[in-house]
Amino acid sequence: MYRSDRITNWISHSFLLILAAGSIIPLILLLSSSFSSEASILKEGYSFFPKEFSFAAYEYLLTNSASILRAYGVTIFVTVFGTFVSLAMTAFLAYALSRRDLPYRNFFTFIVFFTLLFNGGLVPTYLVFTQVFDIKNTIWALIVPGLLMNGFNVLLMRTFFMTSIPEPVIESARMDGAGEFRTFFSIILPLSLPILATIGLLQTIFYWNDWFNGLVYITEPSLFSIQNMLNRMLSDIQFLASSNLGTNTSSAASQIPTTGVRMAIAVIGILPILIAYPFFQKYLVKGIALGSVKG
Amino acid sequence: MSEVTVKNLQADVQSLPVRKVNTRLMKLKRALPLFIMMLPGLIYLLINNYLPMFGLIIAFKDINFAKGILASDWIGFKNFEYLFSTRDAFVITRNTILYNGGFIILNTVLAIAVAIMLNEIKNKLAKGFYQSVILMPFLISMVIVSYLGYAFLSEDTGYLNHTILPLLGLDEVSWYSEAKYWPYILTFINMWKGIGFLCVIYLAAIIGIDQEFYEAATLDGANKWKQIIHITIPSIMPVIIMMTLLAIGRIFYSDFGLFYQVPMNSGAIYDTTNVIDTYVYRGLMQLGDIGMSAAAGLYQSVVGFILVLVSNYLVRRKSKDNALF
Amino acid sequence: MRKLISIMLVVFLLLISACSPKQESSTNENSESGDDVPEVNMVLFSGSVPKDLKIVEDEINKLTKEKINVKIKLTPINIGNYVQQTNLMLSSNEKVDLMLVASFFGYTSQAAKGQLLPLDDLVDKYGSDIKKVMDKDYLNASKVAGKLYAVPTQRDMASASGIMMRKDLVEKYNIDVNKVKTLDDVESVLKTIKDNEKDIPPLVPSNPGQQPTMIYNWFDRLGDGLGVLPKYDNKLKVVNLYETDEYAEFVKKMRKWQNEGLLMKNPGTNTETGANLVKSNVGFSYLSPLKPGVDSQESKNTQMPMVSASLGEPVSTTFGVTTMMWGIPQSSKIPEAAMKFLNLMYQDKELVNLLSWGIEGKHYEKVSETLVKYPEGVDATNNGYNLNMNFAMGNSFLSYIFEGDDPTLWHQTDEFNKSAIKSKALGFNFDSSPVKTEVTAVTNVVNKYTIGLENGVLDPETELPKFIKELKAAGMDKIIAEKQKQLDEWAKTQK
Repeated sequence: MYRSDRITNWISHSFLLILAAGSIIPLILLLSSSFSSEASILKEGYSFFPKEFSFAAYEYLLTNSASILRAYGVTIFVTVFGTFVSLAMTAFLAYALSRRDLPYRNFFTFIVFFTLLFNGGLVPTYLVFTQVFDIKNTIWALIVPGLLMNGFNVLLMRTFFMTSIPEPVIESARMDGAGEFRTFFSIILPLSLPILATIGLLQTIFYWNDWFNGLVYITEPSLFSIQNMLNRMLSDIQFLASSNLGTNTSSAASQIPTTGVRMAIAVIGILPILIAYPFFQKYLVKGIALGSVKG
Repeated sequence: MSEVTVKNLQADVQSLPVRKVNTRLMKLKRALPLFIMMLPGLIYLLINNYLPMFGLIIAFKDINFAKGILASDWIGFKNFEYLFSTRDAFVITRNTILYNGGFIILNTVLAIAVAIMLNEIKNKLAKGFYQSVILMPFLISMVIVSYLGYAFLSEDTGYLNHTILPLLGLDEVSWYSEAKYWPYILTFINMWKGIGFLCVIYLAAIIGIDQEFYEAATLDGANKWKQIIHITIPSIMPVIIMMTLLAIGRIFYSDFGLFYQVPMNSGAIYDTTNVIDTYVYRGLMQLGDIGMSAAAGLYQSVVGFILVLVSNYLVRRKSKDNALF
Repeated sequence: MRKLISIMLVVFLLLISACSPKQESSTNENSESGDDVPEVNMVLFSGSVPKDLKIVEDEINKLTKEKINVKIKLTPINIGNYVQQTNLMLSSNEKVDLMLVASFFGYTSQAAKGQLLPLDDLVDKYGSDIKKVMDKDYLNASKVAGKLYAVPTQRDMASASGIMMRKDLVEKYNIDVNKVKTLDDVESVLKTIKDNEKDIPPLVPSNPGQQPTMIYNWFDRLGDGLGVLPKYDNKLKVVNLYETDEYAEFVKKMRKWQNEGLLMKNPGTNTETGANLVKSNVGFSYLSPLKPGVDSQESKNTQMPMVSASLGEPVSTTFGVTTMMWGIPQSSKIPEAAMKFLNLMYQDKELVNLLSWGIEGKHYEKVSETLVKYPEGVDATNNGYNLNMNFAMGNSFLSYIFEGDDPTLWHQTDEFNKSAIKSKALGFNFDSSPVKTEVTAVTNVVNKYTIGLENGVLDPETELPKFIKELKAAGMDKIIAEKQKQLDEWAKTQK
């Protein structure tokens, strides 16, 4: 038995080590190519050890630092604010749904679940957000549509509340005369840090990586996020591939940044989230642990 | 119209015995704070999810903007025709189902395997390290993943063609023009990116299992393998079922970034990279026809919905507890 | 259960009532922005969004307010996202008053679906300068079903197939560019390069993943290229390009070039422009449409001297003329103001130069009456107004010429336009909506094969017949029949 334990341990270690290496190696290639000179990428190919070391890509970014810093600012604001509001809304809704004494509980749960399956499509959503709420070219366009609250997270959190907050706790709070809101803030939330951290991480990733809302709702350059800048470059390249521009727009095409610069922007696009995420990591497993078990 | 319904509703309420109504009102009143809590979320769902659903009528109309959306002509199921009438229809449906089906099975199996292994690691530092690193790809956007893919797969400059294949003495491969490699490439990238998160979910479920089960099994002389089969897997079954049901509901949707950005929209490999979402998107770009894309969206939703209902029904028949609803 | 249904009904009714006032509110919003001077929202594509946009806008507004009592707002969108964003704008009746439309952005279907206003009356009323400046054939080239939905800008209206080469290498190997006239001539040039410059691929794609026949052509694409008119005439009989002998010959030649190492190894998925590849010393030449002044334009992009050789006569087709036009969306509340502004772009030198170059002294300096340059300390990378869309700003012949280019550039271009062969089908626009299912499917097949075939990556012996077979299966014949029908109808109206 002892021996079989050692063997499983050994197998696990080697397997996981390979997996971990596989996960991280591509990122290193990204990093090293952002430090390679343009000509050496085009001539020698991508490589883990730059043949010609060059800061050119980062220097280029520095000359555009105003717009990049601004994009950073937009991304950070959207991520922080969006995650916060999202957490609050998700927690409120999930908590109410977790209460077995909520009238029409099944109906409301179904309302949430239904949104996971059906959606109106891009054009109708666009109509609602531009015509009814007129948020085009505002910072809200990066926060509200599609991202602010997601049915999956609500269901995950609801399950957490149902399984990990014992009903007697709520019951005794009520006996003490605490209102629903006080119970929620002073008893439920402190008990729910793991799930809050988990959903928080998910939301942070969604907001940080979102390029779609920017593509759809933003034409004003001061509101571009980092991912939008990356996506614009990529879509410009793809556009060139599929169209006959004639001679007139080739000057527009010539403004697309080169490979090295694209890689450099990608690097500065992922670094912050890689740095931020260990802070969430601590709670991550625990949060899902209690949230995903169906109650 | 609305009056009739309200009257019906009132009649409905009035037909109930008076006392019952009173207790119900009491209950509603007591639940008022809970309703207030739900309000922001429900309003958001209403705006973000339910209001746009009225746009589904576009799927049945021949949109002419001079007339406006509501006044445009009804054309029945004509917008759906292009989804079914060409040879592409078969290819994109096949690709969508096979890819997503494959993803569901492979990702689930691998994620559970990794989760079990992670659970076996007793060294806390190593465990934290593995877990963090494996989750990393999950944090990266598909746009960046497509840059990465290109760095490896580019014909002239890619790492595979330029370094690895020559090292193995193999010929260079035109990755972006040979359709046969893409099922593997896309599956690999999907796993690479998604496994971390899925694995955390299962790891979480495994940690939640009562240790006493294992202690008892060890006393009975069950080895690790037997413990996994007889304790771990059955214990996390509810989670597996929930995750799988959710995935089945979205089997007709595909990760647009994965199928559009990562293959660099390369025409030569459409046979194995074209899925419903990319097909519709290209059609929209080409023709700007929102009727066609609305039709495709509706088709995806309805099929997903039916699939979930059916699989949920099947699960329910076996075990009521494990069903989603 | 009945209760549940009743509740759901109530919820849905609430939804509908929440839905209906939206029409009113949106119209209110639209009208509120016009104090007394109507503001024209002008949407266009560009490579970048200049940081001094607002300053230039204010300057323009001073001018236009005085002259025609109109203000403008510029909304530049990057090319790659242009289709998607303008599609949404047009579909949702957003306030857009002037929009840069183009054949390759689905102009014909926008017109057919009623997203653009017919402009005939407006041009008659407010567009006297447009009519004065524009050649009638070119102006009419944008007509769809007999109505004008957009006004082309005045610029080079024709183009010739050509190849753009590095001047230093051309001189080094004593290549006489005037003698390069056919693909066979090109072949011998490329061989010279291949033999002497081992590290430089002789011919690279001009744009990432673009089909060479987009640039090197001997046929009128008739819009989408599905069904073409060989030799720009063919007695108006539409044929399937991919079935013609000329096409088979072309792809065989490309196969030969690829096998002999004259082409970039796999151009299909390269993500760099030809100019960028040449700049990084991994390319000698790329195909390029030619027009007066193109050598110095490309030299700027590659940052080394370039020289071109012509491979065909200049031709003007509907597709070429309609690559840059201004249309007025159906949702515009102030089409008259938009048309007044549009007309001013064909007449007012000051306005055209503000739009093209920005503010004098800040973004450019005059060298002579026609030539301009960057002021001290300003260059292409830090210029505050780098829209670079001179060809879109109405009558581009009114704009200044950048130092280094030929001062007589506009005169040459005018001559070039006049001397160009006009395709027999110039003025015909194909509306693909009756065959949209087939177009989607056929386009997929075309994308699948053409890049490989036309770059010599696929073997034409086996792949070309397969390609043609798949085209037929996807409905190519139906598209061609429809196109022929529309073309015949159009031809009748031309007599």
